[in-house]
Amino acid sequence: MWETLAQAVINGLLIGGIYALVSIGVTLIFGVIKIVNFAQGEFVMIGMYISFFLATQFGIDPLVSLVVSMPVLFLAGVLIQHFLIRRVLGPNDMPQIFLTFALSLLLLNLSLMLFTANYRTVHTSYSDEAFHIGGLYIPVAKLIAFAVAMALSGLLWVFLHTTDLGKAMRAASQNRDVAMLMGINPNRVFAVAFGTALALAGAAGSLLMPFYSAYPFVGQVFVLMAFVAVVMGTLGNVMGALVASLMMGVAESLGIQFVGADSGLIVVFALLLLTLAFRPSGLGARRGR
Amino acid sequence: MSGNMKWLWLAIGAVVMLALPQFVTSSFAIDIFIRILLFSFIGVAWNLMGGYAKQLSLGHAAYFGLGAYTSTIMQVNYGISPWIGMIAGGVVAMLASLPIGWLCFRLRGPYFTIATIATAQVLMLIFLKFRDFAWGAEGTTIPNLGSAPLMMQFEEKSSYYYVVLGLLVVGLWITHRIEKSWIGYYLVAIGEDEDAAEAIGVNAPKVKRDIYMISAFLTALAGTFYTQYIYFIDPATAFSFSVSIEAALVSIVGGIGTLWGPVIGTVLLETTSALLQSWLGSSVGGIQLTVYSLILMAVILWRPTGLIGFATDVYHRTIRRKPARA
Repeated sequence: MWETLAQAVINGLLIGGIYALVSIGVTLIFGVIKIVNFAQGEFVMIGMYISFFLATQFGIDPLVSLVVSMPVLFLAGVLIQHFLIRRVLGPNDMPQIFLTFALSLLLLNLSLMLFTANYRTVHTSYSDEAFHIGGLYIPVAKLIAFAVAMALSGLLWVFLHTTDLGKAMRAASQNRDVAMLMGINPNRVFAVAFGTALALAGAAGSLLMPFYSAYPFVGQVFVLMAFVAVVMGTLGNVMGALVASLMMGVAESLGIQFVGADSGLIVVFALLLLTLAFRPSGLGARRGR
Repeated sequence: MSGNMKWLWLAIGAVVMLALPQFVTSSFAIDIFIRILLFSFIGVAWNLMGGYAKQLSLGHAAYFGLGAYTSTIMQVNYGISPWIGMIAGGVVAMLASLPIGWLCFRLRGPYFTIATIATAQVLMLIFLKFRDFAWGAEGTTIPNLGSAPLMMQFEEKSSYYYVVLGLLVVGLWITHRIEKSWIGYYLVAIGEDEDAAEAIGVNAPKVKRDIYMISAFLTALAGTFYTQYIYFIDPATAFSFSVSIEAALVSIVGGIGTLWGPVIGTVLLETTSALLQSWLGSSVGGIQLTVYSLILMAVILWRPTGLIGFATDVYHRTIRRKPARA
């Protein structure tokens, strides 16, 4: 019993690390630009395909291909912010929600056209390896993914707290108008925030590749989790997103273990709906916004 | 448009719509017309909440699915006619909209949208688990009785056409009545600025709750009709995210918060997808939604008022020579 429980918690934490990369991206974009990026999951998917093609065409290990997927997606983020998002910033939610939503539909269906719905996997030397500690089982690929995810989250934290640009981003997320009055260039800050968020999604994609299949709908799985984590951890709060993601991973894993194989998501959504029901004011800032 | 002209156009429209199946006999074409009418109707139902009050739900599949399941369970397990089941489904959806609305309406903007997605997902997951009386993930086919108008089953596709045409007319009539009443103005005020609307005495929670119930009821009717039309139900189809998407999409593309917006949007999107399908066959997966999303992006970036706003602009600029509204 205790062993099953501990194993479920470990499994949950390991996958929660990936959720964290996705949800930190969502929360970073929301914090700085005040936009919910519904397409975040599709960028995880793109990260996965980048790693898949680098692995199958050039034999590059998916973990190494992180150095390609992250900059490529950073650049994509800067361009998307510059050419699309910038045009819909304003007090009205509708264009913002539906622009990123349209982007998500576009990327998903383009990848369906280009890559078909087939599942693509990359088999690495460590894909089937695992550590056995006591009666517990820790897959190497997931452990590496978790460790890198935590390291990247830590790097982001250092970046946000020590560099001028990072401080500018935090200032913009706390009070955008005042930050602008203090001479922060919003275009630059927004572009870096969007780029960074997408780079994190790309990293999540590459880290997933050794133990997860790439297919056009894969992003939806992760973005759904990220939304739950982001809402529970307070939109715009990086630390909250990180902690909530790990919690969501554990909740999902416990649901699968103790409620039923198809019930992981039920537990997660139940948690979300309960939070929304009892602590709507605890979400985001004043008045749930 | 003057009053008389409006009635003339409506009369011409009605005659054309009623006569259409008599002239178009191709089953492919009738199928497209039925899809256009159905998604116009779903869009009209969504638009009440999403368009006028700007509550951007992406979870209307919840009500579509509840309508579909209520009538199908009543029909398959108890032999009750879907005509009755359809109304029962509407009532179930209305009742479900109360707790869901209570939960979601306290949230604003993207929080609201995320919460609506979650509620529809939860319902889908629940119906995946209900194996005893709702067939679980495999779903079920609906017994084909041939010609049984009392069981909402027809041999002629044109009969389905008239049923869904009737639904759309009801939806448009309700929207028209709401648009012209005080509640319509309240909705628009809520959509513009909820705090300001409350400050001038609009009981926003009550108005939103009432309209959400009507919106849920109508969406559930569409669910029953669709299931009867395709003779099949399963959680993935009944609670399909794409139903939620399309409801919102057609309204935004056509013109959010306008009577005819969802209809215009559906005509454009469904015609486009039918043309794509006949050019490319169904070989290229994803092409349809790729084109949809490009249209949606173009509308949001260049014509946020939708096609209706665009048409009004052109009309005022070229024909009436009046200054166009923004």
